[in-house]
Order: sequence, then C-alpha cells, then structure tokens
Amino acid sequence: MVPYLFLAPALIGTIAFKLYPIFIGFWESLIYTSFSGGVEKRIFVWFENYQYLFDDKIFWKSLEITAFLTIIINPLQIAMSLGLALLLMRKSKFIRIIRSLYLLPIGIALPIATIIWGLMLDPNQGLINGLIGVFGIPPQPFLVSENQALWCIIAIATWKGVAFWMLFLLAGLEDIPKQYYEAAEIDGATPFQKFRYVTLPQLKRTILFVFVADTAANFVLMVPMIILTKGGPLQSTNVLIYEGYRSGFYYQDWGRSLSIITILTVITLIVIGLQLLFLSERNEGIKVK
Amino acid sequence: MIMHFKRQWSVYLWYLIIFIGLIITILPFWWGVAASFKSNSEIFKDLAPINYKAFLPGFSLDSYFAIFENDFGRSMLNTFFVSITSVAGGLLINSMAGFAFAQFRFKGDNIIFGFVLLSFAVPADAIAIPLFKMMRQIGWFDTFYALIIPMLANGLIIFLYRQFFLGIPKELIEAARVDGLSWFGVFWRICLPLSVPVTLGAGLLLFVFQWESYLWPLIAAPSPELHLIQVTLGRFSTEYEMVWNQQFAASSIAGFLPLVFIYMFQKQFVSALTGVEQK
Repeated sequence: MVPYLFLAPALIGTIAFKLYPIFIGFWESLIYTSFSGGVEKRIFVWFENYQYLFDDKIFWKSLEITAFLTIIINPLQIAMSLGLALLLMRKSKFIRIIRSLYLLPIGIALPIATIIWGLMLDPNQGLINGLIGVFGIPPQPFLVSENQALWCIIAIATWKGVAFWMLFLLAGLEDIPKQYYEAAEIDGATPFQKFRYVTLPQLKRTILFVFVADTAANFVLMVPMIILTKGGPLQSTNVLIYEGYRSGFYYQDWGRSLSIITILTVITLIVIGLQLLFLSERNEGIKVK
Repeated sequence: MIMHFKRQWSVYLWYLIIFIGLIITILPFWWGVAASFKSNSEIFKDLAPINYKAFLPGFSLDSYFAIFENDFGRSMLNTFFVSITSVAGGLLINSMAGFAFAQFRFKGDNIIFGFVLLSFAVPADAIAIPLFKMMRQIGWFDTFYALIIPMLANGLIIFLYRQFFLGIPKELIEAARVDGLSWFGVFWRICLPLSVPVTLGAGLLLFVFQWESYLWPLIAAPSPELHLIQVTLGRFSTEYEMVWNQQFAASSIAGFLPLVFIYMFQKQFVSALTGVEQK
C-alpha cells in the first residue's frame, strides 16, 4: 500500500495529463461538431474527418512541407551539433568560456529567439539585409518570400537547436574513457581513424537518442509559424502541426484539427520506430537518456 | 619545421571556425540587448545604412518603462507565481514517485515505470489541443489550474530522483526504520535532505520549462490577466510590430533570468538534462 501512496500524485498526473489526452485526441477526431442555429451538436462520424482530408489539397501540401522540413532540418541539426561538439573538445586556454558562449541559445526561449530573428530578417530595415548589403548583395525578402520563409525558419530553429543537442553530444564525448584514445594513438591511428573507430561507436547511443528526440521535437515545431509567418506566405511554412492548430483555433473545426494531429502523431511514431529499427543494433536496448 | 607549420595552421583554422560560429551565436543576442536601450528612430537610423553604431548599446531606459506600462509587469508576476508553484509541486510529487520506484518492489512496478518513461517521449505540443479540450470539460480552462497542474508530473524528473535514491545505502534507511521512523519520515527527513544536487538540477529544469512555455499558456489561458511572459512577448510582436525597442526590452528581460540561473547552476543543469555527471 505504501508505495502506491507515494506514487499516486505523479502517476495520476502522468496518466490524466500526458497519456489520456492522446486517447481523447483520437476519440474527438471521430466526431463532427456542427453549430447550426447556435446550438452545438456533436455527431459521431467514424473516419469521415479523415476521408475529407484525403481530398483536401491544403492537407496534402502541408504534409509535403512537413516531409521536406523533416528531411532537411534533422540531419542538418545533428551534423552541425556533432561537428561543433567535436570542435569544442579541443584543448584551449579559452575553451570553458567558448563553450559557455556557444550554449547561450539554450537559455533563450524559442519565442524570444523567434522575435529577435524576425526583426533581424526584416526585409526593409533588418540587420541581415544591412550586413549583406555591405558585401554588395541586394536586400532579400526572407520571411515574406514563398521560397525563403521555410529556410529562415530552419535557420532560427537550428540556431536554438544546435546548442541544445550539442549539450548531449558534448556530455557523451566527455564520457568516453581517455584510455581508448591513448590506446588508438599508440597503435598509430590517424585522427579520422580515431573518430571512425573510437568516437563514433562510443557515441552511437547518444547520437541515436539525439536524432530521435530532435526528430520528435521538429515534428511539432510551430512557434515561429505562430509568431512570424502564420503558415504563409502562400502556405509555404504551413506544416501539419500548424495546420492542425489553425483548424482548431481559427476555424473551430476540431474534428479536422484532431484528425491532423492524430495523423501527425502516427507519422512521428512510425518515423521514430524506423530510426530505432535501422540505427540501433540488435539486442542493444535503447538508451533512454 | 613543416610539421610545426601544419600544426599551427590547423590551430588557426580552428580559431577561425570557432570565431565565425560564435558571431552567429551571439549576434542576435548582442544586437537585441544593445537596441533595447535605444529609441526606435535611433535603431532604424543605425541600420539604414548600416554602421558600427548598430552594435553599440544606447543609454535610454524608455523602452523598459514603456513595456511595464503595457502590462508586462503583470505577466512577469504571473510567470513567477506559476513557475514557483510548479517547481515546488513538481519537485514534491516527482521525488515521491522516484522514492517509490527506488525503495519498493511492488505489483506492476516495471509496467508503471515503463508508462512513466513513455510519458516523457510524448511531445507536449502534440497533446496540447486534446488537453485544451479536456480543460474546457473539467472547467479549468482559462484558470491558473490549467497552467500549473497538468505540468507537474514529469517523467524525466521522476527518473532523475529514482536514479539518485537508488544510490542511498539500504542500511541507512533500515536503521531509520528500526528507530521507528515512518516511510514518509524516511523520505522527508533522510532521503530528501540528501538529494540537494539532483533537486537543484530538477528544480531548474522545471523552472525553465515553465518560464519558457509558450504554446500551452497561449491556448489554455487566453485572458490577459493570466498571460505568461512568453505569451505577452508574442503579443507585443504583433500588436507593436513597429515598436522594435519595446520588443527588444521585453525579450531581454524574459531571457535574462533563465540565463542567469542556467549559468549559475550549469553543472547541475547539464547533469540533470543529459544524465552525465559533470566534472
């Protein structure tokens, strides 16, 4: 009895506010709500909301953008944070302060980063257009351009993300016993060989964790869309999570909204499942943290 | 000689890359803080055409006074209240759960622990919309309850405490039991006081999660009296789109506190987040 008493508050909280909403989300996606004559009427419609999505051009476009974003942003962030983490393993007089400065974006909340970058990328008076003007490059439209907006959001999320994910990779690198490198050196290994045969295998679990967690995080990336682009221009930044958010909160179409969220959740689980399947070795349980 | 030259060259290259990376990392930050002490016309004057003054801080506090006239103070107080209650409540219930997992073998313990681990794989933003519907059903929508209570239970924090409590010697706990201490007494008077390092890290995580949360407070508590700091910031950026210095001032204040805390307790923060003991 005693253990359950200790467990109860946190367990109830976890089930009620973290696990049960997944179930509610799916359940509500099967319901159509109509507001005829000011009266809210809820009708159970099975998978009709999903059927409508199937013929919905906005939904397919949104899915396409989400796929594109996922394919670009995750490898980019992992490669950059791994590269940077390796650079920061070098011994130097200033390494402590350099590391601290690189970790700065972790302390800056995404809405803040979004607002500041939004002003930096302002097409008329922004700092970036001013700076590239010095090199003779004409001013760019950035967030108001259909072709550039998504890349700007990738840049903003990466500025914040690289610092965060690098923290895990740095900790993982620090955890590799120094003797392994000493042994490799005695055997005459080149720096590349040391990376290939010592660092990479030792860091594999950390990289896998970061890859999976980063992918999950980027599937729900929408703060820059909410604050800066509203999914535009011309739907070019309208990722699934934002389309789901907009259907619900702008158009009160909760059935559609939660169908999209459910589809996104399923996609996330499939992608993460595939990553785990292909990247983790057999019989080597996943390192949770 | 050639070896020496090659070594030198790689060091210079390293410094060059590190330097460029640092500029990209710090630039938004530096520019934002510098511009928050200027008037709007001054900010725009320094940018068109761009000159070195754009990177020098101004001396005016006007933007800071102005944001506090625009209800920024209210949202700061709200955020303090929500963060502090969340830290206190979150530390208590999650450490209790961690204690249960570490001290007892009971029916279903592995399955329940599995659920806890599963729960921190669920991204908060993905369940925000169904959670919002749930808050409306139970009448917590647009109240402080909605901002605090769903955020308390946290799988990561439970996990941290469990790992720590597993390391406390069994003899210590048995001795306390023989002396007649209740289980809650063991938890409260023996285990918790020992757990200062993990509590610092866990408390900091909970604080930062709440201070930086945006989406949930935006949808769960739309009344202006309940706005949290990030929501107010987002509002500023649309309502005062051309008032750059106020956006910078509000961002500087909102960003300052988590940064100070994270840098003060960097070791504990990194250990709590990554699970690797920092030297």
